[in-house]
Amino acid sequence: MTATARRAEALGARLPPLLVAAERVAATVWQGVHGRRRVGQGDSFWQYRPFVAGDSAARVDWRRSARSDRLFLRETEWEAAQTVGLWRDGSASMRWRSRAASGEKVERAEVLLLALASLLLRGGERVRLVAPGGRSVSGRVGLERLAEGLEGLAGEELPGAVGLPRFARVVLIGDFLGPLDEIRDCVGAMAGVPVSGHVLQVLDPAEALLPYRGRVRFHGTEREAATVVPRVEGVRAAYAARLAEQQAGLAAISAAAGWGFAVHRTDHPPEAALLGLYAALAPEAGRR
Amino acid sequence: MIFAAPWVLLALTALPLLWWLLRITPPAPRSEVFPAIRLLLGLAAVEETPARTPWWLLALRMAAAGLIIVGLARPILDAGAGLAGSGPLLLVVDDGWASAADWGPRMQAADGVLDRAERAGRRVALLATAADASGDAPAASVVMPVAEARARLAALRPKPWPVDRALAAAALRRWGERGSAVYLADGLTDGAGWDGFAQALRAVGPVVELRDAVAPARLLLPPKAEADRLVVRLAQVPRAVADRAAVLAQSGDGRSLARVELQFAPGQGVAEAALKLPPELRNRLTRLVLAGPASAGGVALLDERWRRRPVGLLAGDETVADIPLSGPLYYIKRALAPYAELREGSLTQLLSRQLSVLVLADRVVAAGPEQDAIEKWVEQGGLLLRFAGPRLAEHPDGLLPVTLLGGDRQLGGAMSWSKPAELAPFAAESPFAGLAVPAEVKVHQQVLARPDAQLAGHTWARLSDGTPLVTEAVRGAGRIVLFHVTANADWSDLPLSGLFVQMLRRMVDLSVGVSGAEDASGVKLAPVETLDGFGQPGAPPPVAGALTAAELARALPSPRHPPGLYGPESGRRVLNLATHLGVPVAAAEIGGARQERLGAAAPERALAPWLIAAALALLAVDLLVSLRLRGLFRASIAAGMVLMLGMGGAQAALNPDTNPALVTRLAYLVTGDARLDGISKAGLEGLSEQVNQRTNAVLAAPAPVVPGEDDLSFYPLIYWPISADQPAQSGAAVAALNDYMAHGGIIVIDTRNGGSGEGFAAGADAALPRIAAGLAIPPLAPLTPQHVLAHSFYLLQDFPGRYTGATVWVQRDQDRSNDSVSPVIIGGHDWAAAWAVDADGRNPYATIPGGARQRVIAYRFGVNLVMYALTGNYKGDQVHVPAILERLGQ
Repeated sequence: MTATARRAEALGARLPPLLVAAERVAATVWQGVHGRRRVGQGDSFWQYRPFVAGDSAARVDWRRSARSDRLFLRETEWEAAQTVGLWRDGSASMRWRSRAASGEKVERAEVLLLALASLLLRGGERVRLVAPGGRSVSGRVGLERLAEGLEGLAGEELPGAVGLPRFARVVLIGDFLGPLDEIRDCVGAMAGVPVSGHVLQVLDPAEALLPYRGRVRFHGTEREAATVVPRVEGVRAAYAARLAEQQAGLAAISAAAGWGFAVHRTDHPPEAALLGLYAALAPEAGRR
Repeated sequence: MIFAAPWVLLALTALPLLWWLLRITPPAPRSEVFPAIRLLLGLAAVEETPARTPWWLLALRMAAAGLIIVGLARPILDAGAGLAGSGPLLLVVDDGWASAADWGPRMQAADGVLDRAERAGRRVALLATAADASGDAPAASVVMPVAEARARLAALRPKPWPVDRALAAAALRRWGERGSAVYLADGLTDGAGWDGFAQALRAVGPVVELRDAVAPARLLLPPKAEADRLVVRLAQVPRAVADRAAVLAQSGDGRSLARVELQFAPGQGVAEAALKLPPELRNRLTRLVLAGPASAGGVALLDERWRRRPVGLLAGDETVADIPLSGPLYYIKRALAPYAELREGSLTQLLSRQLSVLVLADRVVAAGPEQDAIEKWVEQGGLLLRFAGPRLAEHPDGLLPVTLLGGDRQLGGAMSWSKPAELAPFAAESPFAGLAVPAEVKVHQQVLARPDAQLAGHTWARLSDGTPLVTEAVRGAGRIVLFHVTANADWSDLPLSGLFVQMLRRMVDLSVGVSGAEDASGVKLAPVETLDGFGQPGAPPPVAGALTAAELARALPSPRHPPGLYGPESGRRVLNLATHLGVPVAAAEIGGARQERLGAAAPERALAPWLIAAALALLAVDLLVSLRLRGLFRASIAAGMVLMLGMGGAQAALNPDTNPALVTRLAYLVTGDARLDGISKAGLEGLSEQVNQRTNAVLAAPAPVVPGEDDLSFYPLIYWPISADQPAQSGAAVAALNDYMAHGGIIVIDTRNGGSGEGFAAGADAALPRIAAGLAIPPLAPLTPQHVLAHSFYLLQDFPGRYTGATVWVQRDQDRSNDSVSPVIIGGHDWAAAWAVDADGRNPYATIPGGARQRVIAYRFGVNLVMYALTGNYKGDQVHVPAILERLGQ
């Protein structure tokens, strides 16, 4: 009991700054992307329009119509919320930072995830974690419940498509350094639901640039065998090529499923990545 | 520089191999965690030339390896020359008194010899030339390895007796082995047998002689006692240059009472200097010590013989003897009292104790037991000093140096034509020789000796007409001296003159010391305290034996009779090393021996430990550098180490000298009067010293405080002397003092005019109300012996300072909030002056009415005061302890 309580306490202690950080990031983005002002399913009044043939008589707003000779229909604003599934990689490789970075990759991933969720919730969307048993939340309180759920999200393996509603949107945040086949399986399974989505690769600057020098013994974070590189300078170019190949593979997998793909480095400001995600998730709003 | 293990240097040839090995071995990789390792896995093939160990790291490691190799080869700096000869080495060490002064360098030199013997792989035998402490004659030890000899050598100590050349020569001849010898000489012949010793030493084999060019040993000869001074004599081997030395005269508790400088002219062997001391100080002297290195030769012990002589006084008519200006003993007492111990009483009383001089002033000795007793005493060495007078002129007795003519002779009287006679100058052989004869001394009347052939020989002083004034005769070991005039001014002006004092002192000086009279007795004197080779007194060794006084006077120091104190406390005798030793004589260098100077060569220094340490330091640097290269040594760790080192420096900022919160100290209020503040400061310093000595409290130097400016809360006690012209305290100061008193502080206000000191500080009483206006002084009551202050440390009945007798005032009512501690104590005893101690440790202010007791009680009051300030009513509470214990028991 005590262990659970302690962990909850530790989680709670981490929650507020994360939430605040997410809120702050979201507030700066909100002004750039406009709201969804159009007719649709919803509770709030949007406009009256003249009755045209074919409209159901039940939809006539008799109070408005009584003030004139014509019949009017009352239209409400479209409020049909989209469900967005969010996932971040919580494996050991994400819980690492190099000396040049300001924080671990998983921290940046969670900030982005919660900031995105904050934006989405403020937009009235339904947000859930891509995990077995994940529940959709909405409203401002939903962010805290999401953050609580996020702490419980181990996320050590790529997620399955279980429980995702059809035509939902998915955002996967992780370093995606594993084999491309596993990623392809994951994305393929989701795309088959069908679910569209976005993949964001979060990389540490050291992973992007391989800044080491001399003779270095590298240890993995997830039980990989260690390897000694006699001269790191000598393999830097080859490593860059490998990384580009991995990213090209990810982009190809995403494109094949109709998904988006982006790369973010932890030494870059998170706002740019958030903006990119937002724009990617709201293409209609941009097109309106 | 030599190498003790040169073959190790061969390993230096392996250094290039090491270089090559280090060069081809890549440096250990740094360790890095890297999540994207999967992308790196196949990339090893792209490798180019492997990283090499940097050249400077290689150089560092090569230097460390080189240092270790050179260090293991054991280089030795300033190594001495090799030892001649082969076979066992005989190390002959002079360990008599003469070697003590430079014993350290001698042992160092002997160690150096053993080092050389060890390097040469030779075994060593040891021969100390003085008899050892158990009285065994010198003998060579068995031949043993150097390590064992080293232990033996370390156990060797200088002896307080001379070396025995003859027995040492015999031991050398008995030493069967033939090898070589090293002789650590003290440079003195030390009595007979030097030539035989040198010959026996040469017979052993090649000899190396280690000695100083001139023997440094100095011998403090027993001082010569004169009437008012000791003549200190110091002997040494004559040197070519002038030299000087200092001798300290010490009392029984080891304090130096005087210091006397001695000058040696070039080539002079004995220097003398007079040590003049007041009699009371001279009586406390127990030893003379040569300043400089400790040695038995530099210590001369003193016993009763160097003390002053007791003088017995006896007058013909006891009733008038002490009448001022006319009594017969009046002038004698005044003349001798500063220089001698005077005793009075009946004849039997006087003779029952040891006596040097017996003065009979116009006292006729009755024939029979009285005369026999005096005669016996004189024959044992006493000096009988007689003065003539009417009685003696009528009844000459048997104890006179010359036969007297009946009656007395008057000069210059009303019925006489002759003039009063003057004194003739003293003859050269007279003990009074050299004394100036004042012209105004006239002799009106005297007794006359019967002229005969021997009279001139018995005469020490004459009148100008040739008649004897002072005559003497030797009786046995003693002497009888007669002044032909009275001891008062009836017959002559002599007792009125300074000459009389000088003559009497010469007389007393002639007498022997009192303990000399016991020499004839057969009582054995046991050793009580003996000196070791360094002149330090200690318990006598087990073999030391008793000897009679006569034997003691002749004894030469030896293991059985080491120099020191012998006999019971009442009649302590000393046996001095130098009494029969004579002036030290320099020994010639041993012919054919290689000469080396003691202390000329620097001692050998082994470099190996330093080289190995340097190598280890380099390796430590290498370790840090390697850690840095592998990424295990973080800047944060280094910063932490630097920070920890810096912590030490940070603590230095808390200086107890300037920060009053760190130590307890008393305080005095700065009055502005420099003299008054000086007394307060000196007084509290003296009191703090007393408190530190006598109690567990530790007080630092007292602090001057200005209320209102300084924070008073650190001080348990503030002393405030009042003077008439002191300005009143300002409002802030009064507020600070009131706050101080309200929070447990104690202010001692001293008007310095109480009791016996009334009138000393005029106007202080009037000034007190003006100065202390505004102070919240509670109702006061006299301080009684029942008050806690009177038994907080000592039990006190009164509370004196420099003055005594006035009332001291304390708070009347018990104030539970303040632990019943009186916040103010007012008195007028000038306590600070009583406590004051000047730079020389003396008390500059006399107590009034006076006495050491008053000062002691003043200090006790001060200690009580401090204890009261520090512990509050703790002592007052202690009276309840039995009741509390009883209640706890129930």
